[in-house]
Amino acid sequence: MGTRNIVCFGNELHGDDGFGSRIYAELRRLTWPKDVEVFNAGIAGLNALRFLENCSQAILVDAMANFGNVGEICVLRPEDLADRPQQLTGHGLGLPYLLEALKVIREPLPDILIVGVEIAAVTPFSPGLSDKTEQAVPKTVQLIRDLLSE
Amino acid sequence: MARRIIQIDLNRVEGDLDFQLELEDNKVVDARCIGSLYRGFEQILISRKPKDSLVITPRICGICGTAQLNAAVLALEHIGRIPVPPTAIRIRNLCLMAETVQSDLRQSFMFFTADFCHSKYIRRPFYEKARAAFLPFKGLVHRGALEYSRHIVEIIALFGGQWPHSSYMLPGGVTTPASSRHIIDSLSILNKLTRWFEQTIIGTDLDAWLAVQSADEFFTWLTAKDAHADSAIGLFTLMSRDIGLQHVGFGTPHMISYGAYDDPDDAGTFPPHRKHLFRAGFLNGDTGDIEPFEQAEITEHVRYSWFQPYSGGRHPFQGQTIPDYQPHSDRYTWCKAPRYQNKVVQTGPLADALIDGEPLIRSLYQAEGGNAWLRQFARLHRTARLLHKMRETLHELAAQPNQPHMISPDEKEIPDGEGFGLVTAARGALGHWVQITDGVISRYQVVTPTAWNASPKDSEGRHGHWESSLIGLTVDDPDDPVEIGHIIRSHDPCLVCTVHLLDTGKRITVWP
Repeated sequence: MGTRNIVCFGNELHGDDGFGSRIYAELRRLTWPKDVEVFNAGIAGLNALRFLENCSQAILVDAMANFGNVGEICVLRPEDLADRPQQLTGHGLGLPYLLEALKVIREPLPDILIVGVEIAAVTPFSPGLSDKTEQAVPKTVQLIRDLLSE
Repeated sequence: MARRIIQIDLNRVEGDLDFQLELEDNKVVDARCIGSLYRGFEQILISRKPKDSLVITPRICGICGTAQLNAAVLALEHIGRIPVPPTAIRIRNLCLMAETVQSDLRQSFMFFTADFCHSKYIRRPFYEKARAAFLPFKGLVHRGALEYSRHIVEIIALFGGQWPHSSYMLPGGVTTPASSRHIIDSLSILNKLTRWFEQTIIGTDLDAWLAVQSADEFFTWLTAKDAHADSAIGLFTLMSRDIGLQHVGFGTPHMISYGAYDDPDDAGTFPPHRKHLFRAGFLNGDTGDIEPFEQAEITEHVRYSWFQPYSGGRHPFQGQTIPDYQPHSDRYTWCKAPRYQNKVVQTGPLADALIDGEPLIRSLYQAEGGNAWLRQFARLHRTARLLHKMRETLHELAAQPNQPHMISPDEKEIPDGEGFGLVTAARGALGHWVQITDGVISRYQVVTPTAWNASPKDSEGRHGHWESSLIGLTVDDPDDPVEIGHIIRSHDPCLVCTVHLLDTGKRITVWP
């Protein structure tokens, strides 16, 4: 039985693009069951495959664009990204590319959910989230806890 | 005459890089290579303790952090005249090679060859084979490159504790000895990749491939067996030449190489005078001669860059990096314009191979010049050489067990002074120039391979290498300029290349 991994993506130097890293910081303060591991993938790109190699379940956390209203939290499955490969904010090659790469290196895939928030703006070299994105942080953390307790 | 501007964004791991091209009747008449992201690493280092550079500079790049680390440590060893044992040099070399092998395989088969699957080539005889081999996530070679390239940097993790952004090289050596366990594990990783490389990439064994030493021998080899023509390098060559990549993308004829991999047998010599396994030099494109390389001949210009102006060019020891964003002027980039002997030069695996005197690349260059196909071919040829050299290095480490991996410097601190570290990263010549005053860094100048290649115009208005490699090119369809993608990717800009047209706002991707 593999682990259940939470992998957070984002660049905390670039405004709302740091949403995933912000969530990581919150998740690290919580106590998790032994089989849950929390990672900050940052902008690791393809190197983030390492975090998905041996898990049975994965929750990927990232900022999103054009999925809803600003501050809205979305839960997606990989197939939801299939026809909108450029819609997520890109870190290196972006999550869709990473998920395609994962299919090449492991079979079967882990059970994957993508949790994200619709962000206001990627603001270069402006650390800190916008108000609406920041307001989504507690709900997102609770959502992830609920998803892993099911 | 139809005139239009297209802009190409090169979204890199370590920063943003764009091209802005002016087309007249589908011909590129002007090119601007735009570094759109200011990094600031040189300023971050000011007033810090010298050894902070070993932690900070590997973070310049998510791909070549080992090369940055090596340049940083060599600069400190230069200043302090700090000796390094042969075992440490071998471990450093091994890790540098592993990093370059990964970068080259990914660049070749996850980025460059994917363009052959573009729908423009649907009527070409190679199209079906291209898709079977190179189509992202579907093609056999693309999938193999993804799988096998990711393991080779585990060698760096064995010796460096992590990859990327490791800091295991210290003045005087490395932090971890070459234990037999590490050597065995490294050989296992290397063997696995080498087997795949032989079976899939070159269709023959490594020694046989490296024995091919001239253009005639190569083209004979290519058609001698189906396994050769159907190998990844065979397909890449046949497809490239079918669409004429041997006729485009030349850029500047001048090339530099800092030399690659310090010679462990010359460990007693202090940098920068230590010999290299692959030679340094300057290929003078006017005469064809290879001249000795002299770092004092390097200058950087900022006439077209968003930095506080100074006249002409400055050597990095007199370098100045004061950001001064001027969006409505004729300045267009955050990159400086490095020049060697006041000439526009290129760097990378093609330059390295020619300057080192590698016979096959030299023969192909003499036949057709430094074109886009040969630039990419030289990158793949280097992989074969490095796989061979990595095995040799591991055997050398195994043959000399229990040798010191560190000579602790006599002085705890790096003394005041100035020094430089020059290495060959995956994309070419990388240099760090450091000055230490009153115990802290007073100046730190980094000149990356991409600064050389992606250079803007200089004080005399001369285009940089990438820019000049595109000027004169004719594209069939400005809305879908796949030809530009081939040339840009032959220079290894790294990631997905997207194109959008300023005049319509329409966004197009060159990616298939």
